[in-house]
Amino acid sequence: MTLERNVLLAFLAAAALLPALVTDQYLLHLGVVALFYAILATSLNLVVGYVGEFSLGHTAFLGAGAYTAALLSTHLGLPMWATIPLAGLISAVFGFGIGAITLRLQGPYFVIVTLSFAEVLRIVANNWIAVTNGPMGLAGIDQFGITNKGTFFYIVLGLTAVALYLAFRFVHSNAGRAAVAVRENRYVAQSIGVDPFGTAMQAFVLGAFLAGLAGGFYAHYISFVGPEVFRFPFMVTMIIMVLLGGKGTLLGPIAGAVIVTLLEEYLREMQELRLTLFGLIVMAVVLFLPNGLMGFIAQRREQQGTKPAPRAATKERTV
Amino acid sequence: MTLLSESPAATADATEARTVLTVDGLHVSYGSTAALHGVSLDVRAGETVALIGANGAGKSTTLRAISGILKARSGSITWDGKPIANLAPDRIVAAGIAHCPEERHVWPHMTVEENIMLGAYLCRSRGEVQRRAGMAFHRFPRLRERAKQLAGTLSGGEQQMLAIARALMSEPRLLMLDEPSLGLSPKMADEVFDVVRSINAHGVTVLLVEQNIHNALSVASRAYVVKTGRIAASRPAAELRNDPDLLRAYLGG
Repeated sequence: MTLERNVLLAFLAAAALLPALVTDQYLLHLGVVALFYAILATSLNLVVGYVGEFSLGHTAFLGAGAYTAALLSTHLGLPMWATIPLAGLISAVFGFGIGAITLRLQGPYFVIVTLSFAEVLRIVANNWIAVTNGPMGLAGIDQFGITNKGTFFYIVLGLTAVALYLAFRFVHSNAGRAAVAVRENRYVAQSIGVDPFGTAMQAFVLGAFLAGLAGGFYAHYISFVGPEVFRFPFMVTMIIMVLLGGKGTLLGPIAGAVIVTLLEEYLREMQELRLTLFGLIVMAVVLFLPNGLMGFIAQRREQQGTKPAPRAATKERTV
Repeated sequence: MTLLSESPAATADATEARTVLTVDGLHVSYGSTAALHGVSLDVRAGETVALIGANGAGKSTTLRAISGILKARSGSITWDGKPIANLAPDRIVAAGIAHCPEERHVWPHMTVEENIMLGAYLCRSRGEVQRRAGMAFHRFPRLRERAKQLAGTLSGGEQQMLAIARALMSEPRLLMLDEPSLGLSPKMADEVFDVVRSINAHGVTVLLVEQNIHNALSVASRAYVVKTGRIAASRPAAELRNDPDLLRAYLGG
């Protein structure tokens, strides 16, 4: 727990130094994207890693946040420090509504229904032209004259710190431990008085809130929001990050976000091959690193006789 | 059967131990398959009551229905004079009934200490949780030695002790134990039953499901014989213990 916290703090500190060392706008852009995805992966991990259910509809919250920030900014002219938190809150409301329905389901049913919610929102965004401007999207979202990527980097770094703090507090709270207890053995968790639906709801709403923050930032950073934010490619990227890094750990999604962002960028030349390569990576991860990089590291540490800091979401039961 | 009928809820006076749990005409089904066809039983404060019977008779199902993990199709469950049938499991734990499920499920990737602390999940006071954990470690010194170890590395008997310690963390007034000696060596099983006796001596009422009839009858004061989803008989444990023929007749030998 302390090791995990220290690594998280070290990561944030190292990231804070980046704009001081690098002035190349392209590299800073990569840093912004990596941190944006780190927030998303952290938020998805709360559902996949701690509730233990596979959500394919997490883009619903990214999109809800992005549209909220875009609308508040273009119509009401609200500043960024107001639109991004409000984006998180509105997403959390969506999370509450969608969670109230989907968290009663398990396994494939949960997967399909969450996916369909994201799809419904995409169709609404596409057709409710009066509000969302349809497929044209909302353009010209205020950037408040920020031209230096370094400034955006610090904004997203601040959001990442908030996201990691909240996720850390949740995971090490009673509700977080209860969520792990439910994931590992629902029946025993109930026997000690855990309400599986209630704990899952807390994780789900927090995940939605964080994804909404990321969405709000995205709106201002790109300065444009269209129905694509609800599309599947975002979802696929998030899933690969969480699985590769290690679900059910706090460090995993961050590692996954950084690695996949860089891979995506450096494989850009091989346009066609890129997605194929990602498919292969996912297969390799599922086959050889079922608990991701962090699970692998934790396992190695366990074999060496020390207690692992990040507890892996190991599915297999030791006898 | 005389024992069954002589304690209506009205005798709440101090000399006669009052009935704390009454199950009446309980029906439970798994999907369309009926598992319990009207189970009725009662448990008085301070007793240890055993449910005995063959595999699949409905003993564990009865416990799961009482703890709210399975829904009752009909019938009533009354705890402390209040109906609790179909309450959410966490409400039932909060009301003072702890259920220690069979196969001694512990969370293998959590430490012994984390397992124990989680048992007091519904208790919001950190100091109170610490106090209860202290008592658990006092009662189970071997768990104290292994407090920082992952629960999955414990032996079977130790895991059973841990599961019981965890169930006690909610400070229940009724502890329901499902097959606590399953898969344990006879020596370890004896230790587990010593623990059950001592828990009962500290004033916790115990409802026990057990395959090992000899052990069950040595710790219980009364026993219900469960047969194909119904109560076939209710007898003082001593009576069943001393009359193997009677026991065989009930259990279908």
